[in-house]
Amino acid sequence: MLFNSFVFLFVFLPIVVVAYFAIPQHRARLVLIVVASYVFYAYAKWWFVLLMAASTLVGFVGGQLVERRRSKLTLGITVALLLALLGAFKYAAFVGGNLTSFVGVITAQGFPGFHAFLNGIVLPIGISFYTFEGISYTVDVYRGDLHAERDPLRYAFFISFFPHLIAGPIVRYGILRPQLLAKHRFDADRVRAGLLLFALGLAKKTLVADSFATWVNRYLDDPSSLHAFEAWAAIVGFGFQIYFDFSAYSDMALGLARIFGIELPWNFNRPYRAASPIEFWRRWHVTLSTWLRDYLYIPLGGNRKGERRRDANLLATMGLGGLWHGASLNFVVWGLYQGVMLLATHHLRKRAWRIPAALAVAITFAVVMFGWVFFRLHSAAAIRHAVSAMFLLNGLGQIPGHLVLLIVIATGYTMVVPEEWTWNVRGFGYLRVATVGVLMAVAVSSIYTSHPFIYFRF
Amino acid sequence: MGRLVAFLGTTAVLLAGLAALNWWIDPFGEFWKPAAVQAARAARPQCLVSHEIIGGEYLPFKLDVFHSRPTRAFVTGSSRVLKIGAWPGERSFANLGMPVMSPEIVLQELRDLPAGRRETMYLGVEAWWLNQNFKGFDVSPGFEQQARYLLSRSAFDESVRIIRAAPYVLLHRWRKEQVGPSCVVGRSRPALAWRLDGSRVWSFELDPHTYHPAIDPFTTDLSKLRTGIYNGWTRLSPERIHTLEQVLALARARGWNVVGFTPPDGDRYLRFFAANPVIGPRWRAFGALMPRLFARYGYRWLDFRNARSIPCRQSDFVDGGYHTNAACSMRMRRRLDAAARSAH
Repeated sequence: MLFNSFVFLFVFLPIVVVAYFAIPQHRARLVLIVVASYVFYAYAKWWFVLLMAASTLVGFVGGQLVERRRSKLTLGITVALLLALLGAFKYAAFVGGNLTSFVGVITAQGFPGFHAFLNGIVLPIGISFYTFEGISYTVDVYRGDLHAERDPLRYAFFISFFPHLIAGPIVRYGILRPQLLAKHRFDADRVRAGLLLFALGLAKKTLVADSFATWVNRYLDDPSSLHAFEAWAAIVGFGFQIYFDFSAYSDMALGLARIFGIELPWNFNRPYRAASPIEFWRRWHVTLSTWLRDYLYIPLGGNRKGERRRDANLLATMGLGGLWHGASLNFVVWGLYQGVMLLATHHLRKRAWRIPAALAVAITFAVVMFGWVFFRLHSAAAIRHAVSAMFLLNGLGQIPGHLVLLIVIATGYTMVVPEEWTWNVRGFGYLRVATVGVLMAVAVSSIYTSHPFIYFRF
Repeated sequence: MGRLVAFLGTTAVLLAGLAALNWWIDPFGEFWKPAAVQAARAARPQCLVSHEIIGGEYLPFKLDVFHSRPTRAFVTGSSRVLKIGAWPGERSFANLGMPVMSPEIVLQELRDLPAGRRETMYLGVEAWWLNQNFKGFDVSPGFEQQARYLLSRSAFDESVRIIRAAPYVLLHRWRKEQVGPSCVVGRSRPALAWRLDGSRVWSFELDPHTYHPAIDPFTTDLSKLRTGIYNGWTRLSPERIHTLEQVLALARARGWNVVGFTPPDGDRYLRFFAANPVIGPRWRAFGALMPRLFARYGYRWLDFRNARSIPCRQSDFVDGGYHTNAACSMRMRRRLDAAARSAH
């Protein structure tokens, strides 16, 4: 089920919210949310819930065993089992397809049946997110940062809680557990604050991100026809599209959770204001970047084993982070590109380079935006066409006025106005509340032509 | 609590207003308006009904056509049979065809017709119906689809455009207009129109001075050819053949007389279909299967794919798929009538 769907807005959410506060017992409320979350997930395909249930079972039992035995083997088996589901459904087609193509070149066999089987594998939405949450939980238990959860209901809530189920934020159990122990009374101010944040997110998605999508798709659906102005505008436009799209989803998730008295971690903080690639990753998809830091980069040795090892760890972490986004080589390239930019920043800092802050922001902006080429375009040919156009090989072309105007407005807005989740929506007076109500109505009316959330496919 | 109510109330009032406006104007014709058809029927002489009024409500309109006449014979099939109409003064014939029809919709339509009357059905079967990738029009939109439409900004934008073009729609959802020589119950843009026997009048037939036929350029790209209806066609879909068998079985159980046929194509398309490696084998298999299928239920099959067999001229085709000459359609009707009589 999608947040920007009528069945969610007018059926699912009202029923769950009313039922939640109508039920007096705290435990029954947890049961309600878990059941509702499974219904929410099953709406896409019923068998998805079997995978989530299996992942929940593995994480829950694995956590207990890891705490009891404190062995790396138990931890490794638990993590491997969690990753096995992800690997089977997300990466089998990618690995198998490349392998059979390679074998096919050598043996001159096509393996059409095997290719058809691989192509038939459906990626269960959200599996990348709840797999990472399960892994962080078991590793935290192994490290002693967290006691293994004895209550399967609370653990099931952690994995399945519908606001963050499909596209994050990637929640750590240590943040959620204390909030699950407390019973949350109906608080009109808190519910209103949650709804307002949700409405702002929905408006950001349907009115801003989708406006970018319309123009960006028009250009990037055929990169071979691009000239320099169009290529740059389309790629920068995509940078804003994906930012508004994903940060909108995160705002909606935070808002929904707040209605139920749960505060989720934030994901974005105006990333295009960053003055370096390092700062960018402290502002962009923060729950993923901190996850990669804590559960991949640091276990690999981090920066503790010398500069060369740090560089290798950083590239490996970012390459795998890219692969997490999708089973496709372009995401690996995008991750490695980001890794190289991080390395470059480290080395420049070591040489004590200093440039004015505004210039640093501008350079970071350009570097990050250029990187979106590898994220948005999946084939080598498309990337080559776009990059050629960006570097003037196809001429300047015409300035795409509408898209440039959108970019100028978006740049000004994001540079001046703070991230929406930081707004004190609880303190909004009647006028502002009614204004958000108008925005909500306009956003709802735009759902009919809305594009799917980009991060749903990851 | 007051501010929570203010937020929800503002949103609810605006959305309710939007839904009410979109329902009243109904810019894309998603709601069945029987009173408009009744008004066209009550007029003397009878009026046509503009496509703006019917929109996507083909099924209720066609069922209404059937029930409002002493129907004894009808034709059904895709948009390519919509020119087959009643003879002048004939009240017992109806055209129940629909754009983007599929065997599933034919079956649904037949199930909605009364079982007790003996009917003659001319069933126009399209080869692309047996392409598993082809999806027919959704004739029964669900609650969510209707809610999405009522609350959509694009519908609102179109409603505003209609109001600006024809302000009277705020008070009257339609009115009788004179378009060329014809009376049309319509709104701001009566273009395509429907006769009360269910057959279709092209916009350029309605007013040759104002409207012109939209001609799809010939293309060999299957993803674009006729909106991609032949694309990815790998076999004759067993599910669709089964649905066609259900249609024929239902007709036989009701004691109906059936003549099957396939509408004609222009020469250029005939040559392309026969030679194309994707369509060709399926095209020939379709031609071989249909007579056998209909014969299994005791019915006749007329293969009109070659327009010369009707006969129709190449100049009768707008775009190689749709024939526009009424005489061509009525010659097809005459052949169908003759086949039906010979089966009795």
